[in-house]
Amino acid sequence: MKRFIVKRLGYAVLSLLLLSLTIFLLVRLTGDPSVLLVEPGASKEDLAAVRVQLGLDRPIWVQYGQFMSSLARGDLGHSFYYRTPVLELYLTRLPHSLLLAAAAMVFSLLVGIPSGIIAAVRVNRWWDSAGKIFALLGLSLPSFWVGLVMILFFSVYLGWLPSSGSGTALHVIMPAFALGWYFAAAHMRLTRSSMLEVLGSEYVKLARLKGLPEALVIAKHAFKNALIPVVTLAGINLVIMVNVAVVVETVFAWPGVGRLLYEGIAFRDFPVVQATVLIGGAMIVIVNFFVDILYAVIDPRIRYER
Amino acid sequence: MTRSRAYSFILAVAVAIAAAAPAAAEPSGQMTWAVHVSLAPTWFDPAETPGIITPFMVLYALHDALVKPMPGNAMAPSLAESWTMSKDGLTYEFVLRKGVKFHNGDAMTAEDVKFSFERYRGASSADLKAKVARVDIVDPYRVRFTLKRPWPDFLTFYATPATGAAWIVPKKYVEKVGDDGFKKAPVGAGPYRFVSFKPGVELVLEAFDGYWRKTPSVKTLVFRVIPDESTRLAALKRGEVDIAYSITGPLAEELKRTPGLTLAPTFFPFTIWMAFTEQWDPKSPWHDKRVRLAANYAIDRQGINQAVYLGYSKLAYSFVPQGMEYYWAPPPYPYDPKRATKLLAEAGYPNGFDAGELSGDMIYGTAIGEPVVNYLQAVGIRIRLRPLERAAFYQELAEKKLRFVVQNGSGAPGNAPTRIEVNAVTGGRYAYGAYPDIDGLFSEQANEMNPRVRRQLLDKIQQMIHERVMFGPVIEPAFLNGVGARPAVHGLGLIKNHAYSAPYEDLKLKGK
Repeated sequence: MKRFIVKRLGYAVLSLLLLSLTIFLLVRLTGDPSVLLVEPGASKEDLAAVRVQLGLDRPIWVQYGQFMSSLARGDLGHSFYYRTPVLELYLTRLPHSLLLAAAAMVFSLLVGIPSGIIAAVRVNRWWDSAGKIFALLGLSLPSFWVGLVMILFFSVYLGWLPSSGSGTALHVIMPAFALGWYFAAAHMRLTRSSMLEVLGSEYVKLARLKGLPEALVIAKHAFKNALIPVVTLAGINLVIMVNVAVVVETVFAWPGVGRLLYEGIAFRDFPVVQATVLIGGAMIVIVNFFVDILYAVIDPRIRYER
Repeated sequence: MTRSRAYSFILAVAVAIAAAAPAAAEPSGQMTWAVHVSLAPTWFDPAETPGIITPFMVLYALHDALVKPMPGNAMAPSLAESWTMSKDGLTYEFVLRKGVKFHNGDAMTAEDVKFSFERYRGASSADLKAKVARVDIVDPYRVRFTLKRPWPDFLTFYATPATGAAWIVPKKYVEKVGDDGFKKAPVGAGPYRFVSFKPGVELVLEAFDGYWRKTPSVKTLVFRVIPDESTRLAALKRGEVDIAYSITGPLAEELKRTPGLTLAPTFFPFTIWMAFTEQWDPKSPWHDKRVRLAANYAIDRQGINQAVYLGYSKLAYSFVPQGMEYYWAPPPYPYDPKRATKLLAEAGYPNGFDAGELSGDMIYGTAIGEPVVNYLQAVGIRIRLRPLERAAFYQELAEKKLRFVVQNGSGAPGNAPTRIEVNAVTGGRYAYGAYPDIDGLFSEQANEMNPRVRRQLLDKIQQMIHERVMFGPVIEPAFLNGVGARPAVHGLGLIKNHAYSAPYEDLKLKGK
């Protein structure tokens, strides 16, 4: 088991190193950020001065070396645009993203799982069709459009909810719905298919043959087993919600990590993009690492196979 | 009532009014803006002004300058009461206003002025410092700038938003807290003091009752970043904000239709124009002046203005903005597609010609570039639109990689010569070619200290640019903003060439 953990840890570190190199090079392919920090028509001297200020006048391998040595010290660099430490920026945005992601996740699970169960139990009937339409809309409608429609209806027309920003529970409702709908649809579809698979299994048939009440068969025997892939997906989705809710956070002016990433991309703020992608990637790598270990603990064959 | 009792009554009323007056002058209430761009801490420090107008949205509140644009005066004395230029044009002496305090209570003196200039590292700092030989403190309230040689544009660079060098920071405080500390807790001499800041999210300022010009009327200013313009409009409609910056197209129409809201356009020196990059290539159709003239007659500028800016923008016939110093007004090009077709026929293209591409950035390249391309195609100039991501566009433009026609735009502060230098003379960052006689006149004006003679030279240069049809100017876009029901004085458009609300100390809420 120890060897397995060390091996997985090695893979995790290697993944992060590759991610750091990839994102470092990719952001630099987008062009020169100094052009966006001055007015069009600025003199060559002004542009050169900005490049020196940002450290972009040095060779790329020197920049990468500095980036990695700073990273090793826990320093993610200074934002080109905000000129403040990126980690500080990220940490001020993270609580907002966690709150939004938690609210959106609760919404997506509360809606997605029950509707998935009902759709599976009432397969090919009215509930199932309604669930399919719900999932289709959730996965198809762009979240910026959903957000804007909600703002128009609930904020401007009805006047019930604030249009944007953060600070109160009312501020969370619309962005959580706009973000959560897509994931609710995904959770609904997975719950439905997983439930259908389990409901067709031999042990569920046996439970029914034993004469157990249908509610008990569904809740105890089918649902608990069908939940495993849904929870795994929800865990990964939570990381995605925290880090890349770019569109929803921008539409609702929600001060989260997604908006920070959007600003980083818009301003070619390399350190901000590098940091948000790296931290997001690290979260996924860490989640996967623990999931791997958990699988190995649950099923000892895995640790020998891999 | 006897006469003496009447006098007593009047006196009592007068005393009561006098007593009430200071209370009425106390700042109160809050004004909130929905801002279209991310607020950055660099904007709190005048030393890092990057040569764009946006940071002045914050600088006008937190800081003050020796000289700055104010309502009715493009170079209004502020922290400097007055200034003089020596006859030889080599020295400028500023007399400072006495009794000015920074937000931390420190008195503003000549030390702060010298320190702020020497510390300045923003736009045009290299140019400014290369031309200034030294800054001397004559006495605590008198500063003398000595130039290496006469420079007619010294005040254009020092005393306008072209740079932030004249905006004064407290020397002792900056030295104590350092550059990073200053950005976290900026202290200035402006009408509002810093309260809190969440980068990219919200900035809160509070009225500074020690401001020399007047005590502000509004107690709290809040700048909320709302990136999406539909959301900005929604926030304005709900009264969550009082002013929403940058609302365009159909949303601006909706804003105009909404009762209780006002559309408030502002202008800053911003022009969009076509640059004919191949006019120096004898093999290119664009080499023929008649073709370039045809392109100018083909465009319905008013139509574009109406469709995109609800008619609020200014039609452009020069690439130099109308509000800039030394602007020469050329005769307008009327929308005349028949004349354009005729000119093309005379140039040898009776059936039109394949004109290549019109390259532009993703913002104005689509909004203005699409109609421009359609108008050109309508007269037979078969051109394709090539929108590029903004940074890539300016990089390729500077490297002279773009061909055919380029739709360029600039909002850089300065004056007519600074625009001409970048776009129309040899060595200009975005100049694809030049004419030796224009180059010669340009060098001549750069050393001319007599404003009248200099104006004549610059008029001549702009006439030559017009006669040779070097450019196809299109529009000076208006910056459309929404104002809610609460502000009595919103400050938009009070200062010429300033896009945002200012001066903040003049703002008022209704009923205050």
